Amino acid sequence: MTSRTAWTRRRDARGIWFVAPFLLGFFLFMVVPIGYAIYTSLYTYRIIGGTVFTGAANYTQALASGEFWSGVVRVIIFAAIQIPVMLAIAFFFATIFDLGVAKFGRAFRTIFFIPFAVPAVVGAVMWSFLLEPQFGPFVRLAGALGLGSVNYFSSSLLLPSIIVIVIWEWTGYNMMILYTALKSVPRDVVEAAILDDTPLWKIIVRIKLPMVRQAVVMLVFLNTIGALQLFTEPQILSYFEQGAVSVNYTPSYYIYQTAIAADETNLAAAMAVLLAVVIVVISVASLIFRRRRGELA
Amino acid sequence: MTGQVLTPQAPPSGAAARPASRRERRRQARLAERENQIPVELYGLRRGTVTLLTLLAFLFAIFTLIPIAWLAINSTKTQANIFETFGFWFARPFSFFHTFSLLFQNVDGYGTYIQWLGNTALYAVLGGVGATALSAFAGYGLARFRFRGSRVAFYVIIAGLLVPITALTIPLYLTYAKAHLINSIWGMVLPSMISPIGVYLMRTYADISVPRELIDAARIDGAGELRIFFRVALPLMVPGVLTVLLISVVAVWNNYFLPLLIFNVNTRYPLTVGLGLWSDRAVNSGNAELYPLLVMGGLVTIVPLIALFLILQRYWRGGMLLGSIAN
Repeated sequence: MTSRTAWTRRRDARGIWFVAPFLLGFFLFMVVPIGYAIYTSLYTYRIIGGTVFTGAANYTQALASGEFWSGVVRVIIFAAIQIPVMLAIAFFFATIFDLGVAKFGRAFRTIFFIPFAVPAVVGAVMWSFLLEPQFGPFVRLAGALGLGSVNYFSSSLLLPSIIVIVIWEWTGYNMMILYTALKSVPRDVVEAAILDDTPLWKIIVRIKLPMVRQAVVMLVFLNTIGALQLFTEPQILSYFEQGAVSVNYTPSYYIYQTAIAADETNLAAAMAVLLAVVIVVISVASLIFRRRRGELA
Repeated sequence: MTGQVLTPQAPPSGAAARPASRRERRRQARLAERENQIPVELYGLRRGTVTLLTLLAFLFAIFTLIPIAWLAINSTKTQANIFETFGFWFARPFSFFHTFSLLFQNVDGYGTYIQWLGNTALYAVLGGVGATALSAFAGYGLARFRFRGSRVAFYVIIAGLLVPITALTIPLYLTYAKAHLINSIWGMVLPSMISPIGVYLMRTYADISVPRELIDAARIDGAGELRIFFRVALPLMVPGVLTVLLISVVAVWNNYFLPLLIFNVNTRYPLTVGLGLWSDRAVNSGNAELYPLLVMGGLVTIVPLIALFLILQRYWRGGMLLGSIAN
């Protein structure tokens, strides 16, 4: 800290007024609700006796219930499949557009990005129509291909269907970020490799991929957080096929069902706090991991 | 949370030297892009590789466009034809305009599409503009002032970035239920104004685009801090402000979980919740006449958005996109 005069200090103190409106809102709409949720989660409503303090009872109940964990396991499986597949597709197209080895790259980039403009609810509704067991065109398509009558909403195909929907929604967006990152790889590095007669796939894997590694790590992290909160797609699909989506299908959906349908707000609050803790732990771990590798400014 | 992908692009330098017409500017950008590209021949690819890769891109483009094409085609059909005819071709009678007119009516008492559209626009504009204003103020304050607690404030905001949206929505709902804010539009708008990612981006952007010397010069001229913000800093921050505005508007526009929880009268619904309700009623309450409306409603929801995105594409560059994924 260099010598700061009283004048600078007084002048700098005024900066608080620029930040104050945000901090006030932050306090009222983030800190207070979270605090209240934690408070609520420590109580339980009983028909006899009303709301009583039960300490960690809601947490032990949530943690002990297989229902909560089966949802957690499902979103982990979902993330483990959906994210690598999507990032592979996104990286593949980002690379070929960046290299200019496919025609009409500009037009394709624009088309791939379109689903990002579609709200998840509308995306899920469109895909529900397409996959719907009674009249959905994809069911007929499967029939025409000789696959017999396929039910995309059956318990074995529901998760793959959701994976397809989410891949449809997010690939273009991820591709766009990777494309931008690839564009910043210096041209002379690639040119030098070409002069050395390096084959194209090696240029991609050995030069381009390492140089956008940071962007890839960031996308893995953000997509994981998104996947753990999976809600809209299963919630909309549940309307189209009764019973296809169990109440505990994903943690978010289970919390929603517990709070609204079952009206067990105390338990729902405890589960929301648990989910938040899991996600914050993952975020912080990833931040520390990246800071240790010197990737954080 | 930073790194190359999150660093906003520096404001375009030498703005005055840019060619006047937009078409000319775009042509030059395309030329520059081509110039930067290494000629394909140099890669020493086997013949047919380019064709094969283009074909793969074409297949993925079809996958991307299929649901939208289905929606557009079926918006012209009657309810019976949506079920009975081939999904990817047209069928008589042409009922596009009839279905479209129903968007202005309260069908089966489940709500009026056009009202939901108005609600969504209201929430998105109030929430988005509010979020942008608060973020621009706070970002500038954090970037250019070193007041007591400014570091703490910054770390608090970083912590806010980590709070998952689902985990925040349930607490908001519980708090509203207690504070009698269920069905209040402010319950939707005010939390939408709190955007930690917006503050983070604005702080980074203000840091690279507003020179300290300029602020000091304005101070020596006797300008007040607020005046300096609006007259000196804000004009320099415009590209960043626009991006934050886009991110915030889209976040509110697409928000489903919060309005689903906090509104229980359909006159307050935004589009997302309204279309969800129609799906439920169409399938599960035997209101099959809602199917064409659902298709039409979906189409009318996405067409303006897609148009807007294509027009504003250049603001969606690189790192700025990251702000919207967690939603």
